[in-house]
Amino acid sequence: MRKRRQKITDPLLEALISALDEERVTDGASARLLYSKDGSVMEGGRAGIVCFPETTEEVAKCVEISKKFDCEFVTRGAGTGLAGGSVPCNDPIVIVTTRMNKILEVDLEKRVAWVQPGVVNLDLSLSLRGTGFHFAPDPSSQQACTIGGNVANNSGGPHCLAYGVTNSHVAAIEVVLPDASVVEFGSSEGEMCGYDLRGVFVGGEGTLGIATRIAVRLTEDPPAVATLLLDFSKITEAAETVSAIIANGILPAALELMDKNVVAAVEPFAKAGYPLDAEAVLIAEVDGLPDGVSKEIEKITQLAKVNGARQVRIATDQEERERIWKGRKSAFGAIAKIKPDYYLHDTVIPRRRLAEVIEKVYDIAEKYELLVMNVFHAGDGNLHPLLVFDARIPGTLEKVRKAGEEIVATSLEAGGVLSGEHGIGLEKQRFMTQQFSKRDLEAQDALRRAFDPDNRSNPHKVLPTGASCGEIDSLKEIPEGVWI
Amino acid sequence: MKTEEKLFSLNPEDLNACVSCGLCLPYCPTYRVTGDERMSPRGRISLMRMSEHTDFTPTLEWINSMDTCVQCRGCETACPSSVPFGDLISDTKKDLEKVRKLPIMVRSGLFVIARPSLLKVVTFFIASLQKVGLFKNSTYIPSGIPVFGNKFSTHFSSGSPTLFTGCVMNAWTPWVHKAALKTLKFFGVTSGVSGNKVGCCGALHEHSGLRRDFRKMAEKVIEMMPDSGPVLVNSAGCGAILKDYGTLLGTDEAKQFSERVFDIHEWLVINCQMPEKRNIKEKIIVQDPCHLRHVQNSHHYVRDLLNPFVEIVELSDEGLCCGAGGVFSLAQNKLATEIRELKTDSLNAVFEEIGEARIVSANPGCVTHLQAKGFEMKHPLEVLVEHLSEADAQG
Repeated sequence: MRKRRQKITDPLLEALISALDEERVTDGASARLLYSKDGSVMEGGRAGIVCFPETTEEVAKCVEISKKFDCEFVTRGAGTGLAGGSVPCNDPIVIVTTRMNKILEVDLEKRVAWVQPGVVNLDLSLSLRGTGFHFAPDPSSQQACTIGGNVANNSGGPHCLAYGVTNSHVAAIEVVLPDASVVEFGSSEGEMCGYDLRGVFVGGEGTLGIATRIAVRLTEDPPAVATLLLDFSKITEAAETVSAIIANGILPAALELMDKNVVAAVEPFAKAGYPLDAEAVLIAEVDGLPDGVSKEIEKITQLAKVNGARQVRIATDQEERERIWKGRKSAFGAIAKIKPDYYLHDTVIPRRRLAEVIEKVYDIAEKYELLVMNVFHAGDGNLHPLLVFDARIPGTLEKVRKAGEEIVATSLEAGGVLSGEHGIGLEKQRFMTQQFSKRDLEAQDALRRAFDPDNRSNPHKVLPTGASCGEIDSLKEIPEGVWI
Repeated sequence: MKTEEKLFSLNPEDLNACVSCGLCLPYCPTYRVTGDERMSPRGRISLMRMSEHTDFTPTLEWINSMDTCVQCRGCETACPSSVPFGDLISDTKKDLEKVRKLPIMVRSGLFVIARPSLLKVVTFFIASLQKVGLFKNSTYIPSGIPVFGNKFSTHFSSGSPTLFTGCVMNAWTPWVHKAALKTLKFFGVTSGVSGNKVGCCGALHEHSGLRRDFRKMAEKVIEMMPDSGPVLVNSAGCGAILKDYGTLLGTDEAKQFSERVFDIHEWLVINCQMPEKRNIKEKIIVQDPCHLRHVQNSHHYVRDLLNPFVEIVELSDEGLCCGAGGVFSLAQNKLATEIRELKTDSLNAVFEEIGEARIVSANPGCVTHLQAKGFEMKHPLEVLVEHLSEADAQG
């Protein structure tokens, strides 16, 4: 591309360019547009200047400059977030970590790997193939999402049911704080004394600073794995099976539920052999020592049959397992086969109330004449009702918004929480007051201010204080034919 | 320009098919090396949507996003919503012609390959310069090209398959076509040769957005080729476009033609009796050309064909592009070189495990691009012929 030859007149831009280089700092209109969106439907402001640092020092320089110019900044990885966490409000500097994609050190003896935040989740596990270890958190977007993003959102994934979410797999983090100082939280050598600031930082959604190096814990590959595909003629039967499995003392590695609509969307792509006539499909994965695995298979099969399962299929080889998982993990991306837009929720409810809440979710969608598709981490009660729609049809967004609110309210009434793993971001900010008291929120704000007294690091997110810039309301005024 | 007329005419339904989930990102070679959304399929689609507005004027930045797409279509394989990205970028490139000119080197190259007699003359000069060491090793022209190239003359054999010889493969790497003909002979297949009269398929013209030139060339190919019998192609890029003539030209004649097009490995595996598995001595690394894997989905036939003779070694990059991309390595040399570094890493990882081995790739562009980095590259049929001859000698 021909380089822009005109003189740079913006001192902020000039400062950032001198900190990095001209190739890795841009205020181009295309860049500003693209870095204003992530994987969600949320809209906020517009990216100001976009930077691509490659080292901790460069990140610190960008933050230093933002401080000098009293600018807000937003950190962003692959932009696969589903709650607008990296969607900028106003026009902040966007610090993109995708070029910080080096696996710095792998220590199999300590079972720790130091990585830069832009390393793609799946790339880490692939690079460990053959060593007998892997990185356990496996969000559905793992082929694209970055470990920095996983840390920011304390991401989960199907296999987090047994292995725990990201927080359990991060030993230490090097962080550039909003005042541009570089600190390390936690330790790759073992537990630290004092407050667990590492634990505070994980799930901070970019409001507490920028992770620049992460020591992740590596998990040993299980000696035996079995993936079961169970199908049901009623989704409530599948939900009851989930409760029964856990109630009987079995903790599968993963327990995922997909309804008929989801199966219809993903099967043509994944070719996993999901039964298209079933109302619900349950994927159960068990791992451990071979003896234990076969006993659990037997028990799960029995419980499923009692609860009305039509069929139980056990994947016979690695390829079949991979295809079953590919379908599950492609669910959100495959939605365009049904409708061009989706709005995805992420509430968590007590597992024993799954069947009842699911029914209500379908009723709410029916009331607003919307199509809802359910695909979720059933084992830990993490619902992902997907409202799919065509935003070009007038009035649809309003219905989507209302149905979404009712779904959240229903989940909270059932004793649930707002978000399982996608974070609060911009999307669920307005629901925070429904879950937390004023004092709770003030305490959280005080914690945040301890890290970022000037409120410059990914501001206007998570906590419902200050000006909220990115409601789904803003989606109402979209030109026809334009995706939101 | 009239304001109500859009500069770019893209199918809005195709644009709407992308939900921006981002699952394509790591499968895009230009995103992989830059980490920049502007160089990703999701980003490019979002930018294409800007062109939906009647007052849209493309900036240099916008044009660059489109021009830097390799058109490997790895994103299509990765997309759960089956967004037809290839169609979108191809239509965008077509209209880009209105707002920018292709680099002169690309333009000249495309001009030459569309004209077999001119290609012959140019080949003579380049080959002579290569012989006296005045033409430096290049990423888009193979070394050791014959001084008197373009020797495959057109002949057909009624109802039998015809080997499609194209443009530069005919002129610069005739040994690959020779291997193809030997292979066919080994399997007892009589075949014709498309040769100079038929010439170039126009794939590189279509990918560069020169649709009018492409159309003319495609129509000529259909007119000159026999009306019946399979058309066998040993270049992944040519095969992909020949299979797509039907859709691109939209005529019944083109559709019928496309139905007769096969990748040569595909046709051999389906129609011929494969030899029994031999005592295997050699390990071969298979580097899939994108247009064989992501577009034709015929990459597995290469493995089926080589399987009786060699041990196939796979790369772990799930078919990520090598950066050749037809004229991409010429037009976007810096990016092409950076992308090749990723492939180099994948290949080196395999070498570390199994030691040195030859690499096969069923597309001339990939072969040349990787050869320029110093890898020992072969077309799969060249390796196959070696083994077939050896087996033959042993009786």
